[in-house]
Amino acid sequence: MSERSILLFGYGSHGKFIAKGLHEDGFRLKIVESNKESYLQAKEDGFIEVEHIDVTNDSLLEVLNPQNYEQLVCVMEDEHLNVFLTLSLRSLFEESYILAISDSIHTTKKLKMAGANKIIDLYEVSANKIYNILKRPVATKLLEGFVSGKAGISFKEILIPKNSFLEGKTTDEIDFSPFGVLLIGMIDEKLGHTFVFITAGINHELNHGDTIVCIGPKESLNAFAEEIKKNGE
Amino acid sequence: MKHLLLSIALSLHASKRYNAIKKYLRVLLTGTGNPYKKYLDAFIIFLIITSVFILVYEVTNSVPLWLDYYDFYFVSFVFLIEYILRLWVYNDISKYIVDEYRESQFLHRDFELWSIIKHALKEKFNYMITPAAIVDLLAIFPAYRPLRVLRIFVLFRVLKLLRYTKSINQFVEVLKNKRFELLTLLFLLFFIVTTAGIALYVLEERINPEVNSLFDAIYWSLVTISTVGYGDIAPVTDAGRTISMLTIISGIAMISFATSVIVSAFSERLSEIKESRIIEQINKSRSFLIICGYGQMAKMFFRQKKDHIDDYVILDKNLKKVEEARKDGYNVVQEDASRYETLSKFNVEHSHITILCLSGSDVENIYITLNAKSISRKIKVIARVNDTNIVSKFKYAGADHLLMPNEVVNTMIRTAITQPTMYKAIHAILTGKSLARIDEIHVHEADALVGKSISDLDFKVNKLLFIGLQRNGEFLFNPPSTEIIQNHDIMLLMGRKISLEYFRNQHEGGY
Repeated sequence: MSERSILLFGYGSHGKFIAKGLHEDGFRLKIVESNKESYLQAKEDGFIEVEHIDVTNDSLLEVLNPQNYEQLVCVMEDEHLNVFLTLSLRSLFEESYILAISDSIHTTKKLKMAGANKIIDLYEVSANKIYNILKRPVATKLLEGFVSGKAGISFKEILIPKNSFLEGKTTDEIDFSPFGVLLIGMIDEKLGHTFVFITAGINHELNHGDTIVCIGPKESLNAFAEEIKKNGE
Repeated sequence: MKHLLLSIALSLHASKRYNAIKKYLRVLLTGTGNPYKKYLDAFIIFLIITSVFILVYEVTNSVPLWLDYYDFYFVSFVFLIEYILRLWVYNDISKYIVDEYRESQFLHRDFELWSIIKHALKEKFNYMITPAAIVDLLAIFPAYRPLRVLRIFVLFRVLKLLRYTKSINQFVEVLKNKRFELLTLLFLLFFIVTTAGIALYVLEERINPEVNSLFDAIYWSLVTISTVGYGDIAPVTDAGRTISMLTIISGIAMISFATSVIVSAFSERLSEIKESRIIEQINKSRSFLIICGYGQMAKMFFRQKKDHIDDYVILDKNLKKVEEARKDGYNVVQEDASRYETLSKFNVEHSHITILCLSGSDVENIYITLNAKSISRKIKVIARVNDTNIVSKFKYAGADHLLMPNEVVNTMIRTAITQPTMYKAIHAILTGKSLARIDEIHVHEADALVGKSISDLDFKVNKLLFIGLQRNGEFLFNPPSTEIIQNHDIMLLMGRKISLEYFRNQHEGGY
């Protein structure tokens, strides 16, 4: 699957973790580092596609062919370099999807101006978490479980195949409880690949090609996904 | 006599009830922790105000007799009781006697009753000559009607109000720090006023019809030096006018000096006063947050939901950061949260305190955690951990929640790449910005929810999604519709904000 490939800039404290996670999830990964030590570290950790280049050099960036990758992830240790890199990538490759990390409010702004598609602000995310721990401890615990995948209850995106028993039915008609899962939303292709929460109050008609998002215990989710497929065949 | 006193002291000292009553009254009168103190204070203030009102009203009107009696007997009586109680709780004579007795028994020396009583009484006397005690005593004396001058004693009742105004105490406290400057100034003032007064008296006593005594001359010199200048007494000779001019010039110098001393004293202590106010204020609330360290994380935290965080105080030992926070409009105190004194200032016993250790240094965060936990296990600590290798140390220190910014963000990035839909959903839920919030409904005894089964509650009508409920620390996901909701359950619902609020209003009984 050529789509699931990531070009990762930076193998620092964040890059290391992300590289490991993406590798586990079966992504094709290319790591780019400008720091010699981090570069060697990446090599040592067993990554094969590692490049040691000066990321401020545009011609070297072009050689990497970022347009062949699904996403460009900028997590360089030096935040100035990170912003600069984002800017260079954006100016060179207008179509690419760039995800960048930011570790201050000011950097977030600059990254936005530099043209990153998605910015994850370290402090914003953490501050949000504190707030949630304080105000909604139970919900936070549940959501944490989703992300880490440790707890029994998790998320699953299920694609509705052709001729599934769900097809043509509206979201209100279907009773999900016998399957032990809850429908929390769906991605409607008709509305242009947007995620719609079930609680938005719109009664959707399910079509094949739509993706529904359910939560529940892992086993139930898997069983439910099988059930849908079975009916499809 | 000696034996009688000793046995009384011993029995009083041993009596639990006596000690309990005394302790209760001591807290009620002088402490801050008693919940009924505010009623007592309000009552005393009411008495004072009515008393003064009667005094003023009486100047031109005649008052009914019962009001006179009220002022004369009731108010005075209450104040007398208050005065005696204050004197009584000031120290424990019985305790002194008992201690002395035990000591003398232990050392086989003669039991000296009188010296110890003398010592205790001397302490009481020392209390009696404090300004507050003198005001209390004078406030007891009622306005003796026939002698008009004595009515001014009622004004001492007004002075009693000072006990209830913190600002005056702080004012006095501030001025105390500048005692040296103020005393110098006072001495200088005294010197100039007397010199000028005597000079005028000598020069003009015979010529000026207004100056009849040395008192007149000194009165004139004070009125002149203060730049008040009534003009009732004015010098008539050239020599007198020269003295007058010199007095005026020195007066201007002195006033500016006095002003600058007082102003500088205040500006030095202003932030301290403000901080103690903040702490006092926060201690009144039932649950509050102490945020240690005003850095990026704290700033972001406030940016999250500015309107939802009311009861908090920020502690930071770095003056620059404190000033920054103050500029941003937050309640901030410049204190080192890792010091025992700092955290013990807070109302640990009666409030639910949550401490957020958000400073960038792990060592400091651990120290604050330990400090908080050593003061009370009840304090909840949420600590930021930068280095994942020392997580176990935080757990040993007793932190309730750990927050690892790097880990959180790493997981987020990973999720964003691998499961973009889920990331969007979770992000939306977490930030609560969009149509889907996950909210917790805490079920209370009084709520209409208790005893209902899940099928009774039609979540779909309200466009809500019932995810599950937490009972006794255990989470039940999507329980069967026959499940009955119990007291203290926490229901987890997802939906739009308005749906959640509507549901809440419908089902929650008043708090």
